[in-house]
Amino acid sequence: MTGTKDKLFYALLAATAAIFAYLIAYIFLVTPLAQLQAGGLAQKIFYFHVPAAYAMYLCGGVCCISSALYLYSPTDARDAAARAGADCAVVFGAMVLGSGPLWAKKAWGVYWTWDPRLTTTLLSVLVFVSVVMLRAFAGNGEAERKFASALGVLGTVTLPIIHYAVVMWGGNHPTVITKTGGGLRHPAMSHALLVGFVAMTLLAGLLMWCRARLTLSLSRVARLEEQAIATGQIDY
Amino acid sequence: MNQAQPQAATLSDPGSRSTEFVAVQGGGETTSAASLLIAAYLMMWGLLFVFVFLSWRRQARVETRIAELEKAIAAGGGDGGAGQ
Repeated sequence: MTGTKDKLFYALLAATAAIFAYLIAYIFLVTPLAQLQAGGLAQKIFYFHVPAAYAMYLCGGVCCISSALYLYSPTDARDAAARAGADCAVVFGAMVLGSGPLWAKKAWGVYWTWDPRLTTTLLSVLVFVSVVMLRAFAGNGEAERKFASALGVLGTVTLPIIHYAVVMWGGNHPTVITKTGGGLRHPAMSHALLVGFVAMTLLAGLLMWCRARLTLSLSRVARLEEQAIATGQIDY
Repeated sequence: MNQAQPQAATLSDPGSRSTEFVAVQGGGETTSAASLLIAAYLMMWGLLFVFVFLSWRRQARVETRIAELEKAIAAGGGDGGAGQ
């Protein structure tokens, strides 16, 4: 990375660390307990769970746009952004699917139920897992990249279905975040959620930056290996 | 936490052992909210740290490989594309 990019990266890292420190303190020291039917103390999982879901949408969106651009005109940078988006969507998706059942155990009495939103979230994460697996094990050729890009675009199409699943098919999942202001009945709850969104946005940006850099480095290794083999410097 | 004492007393009383199981609707919820909350946060942070650590380790290996290849290409006089 160049000096300016380094500075920007470390500034982003410091801002992310600071905002997460504030968020965790705020969640545990300031936000009030919710009613028992919502999980009581376990409802505080919400302040990480929902922003993680939003970060998954964000990373999926980056994967979709970069994949579409790659299919239109392939470049290493677009491929790296698409791959980084898919990688990070899986990580945030795992956070959502891991934290949700722990909250559900207290609020619903069961870890998992085939609720429309839960099911569509699982399906979307599995699509992104398939993109990541494809890129990890099927090689780094042009055809594999394009196939993964197409899958990345298709995977992102499922994300709006998650959001509207509750509206279309009902289910147990809470719907406290709405266009009309939402159901967070205490200012501290709304504030914690807002800070959570900002923190997860910064974290998603940082993680995608790191993963894109890794993918670009891998592309560079591939080019250097071809060059070294062509000039007889290494044997393969 | 207040539930711990009655539960311990019940467990220590042989007369209170279950001698049959009866199907019920719903049932009592005994999982601690605090333990679920801690488990959720540990899981999320753990996942994040593992991902960051694996990314960092792989990036370090790739940087080493790039340096090796550039050195090999430079040693062979093939400096044309090593710096790309």
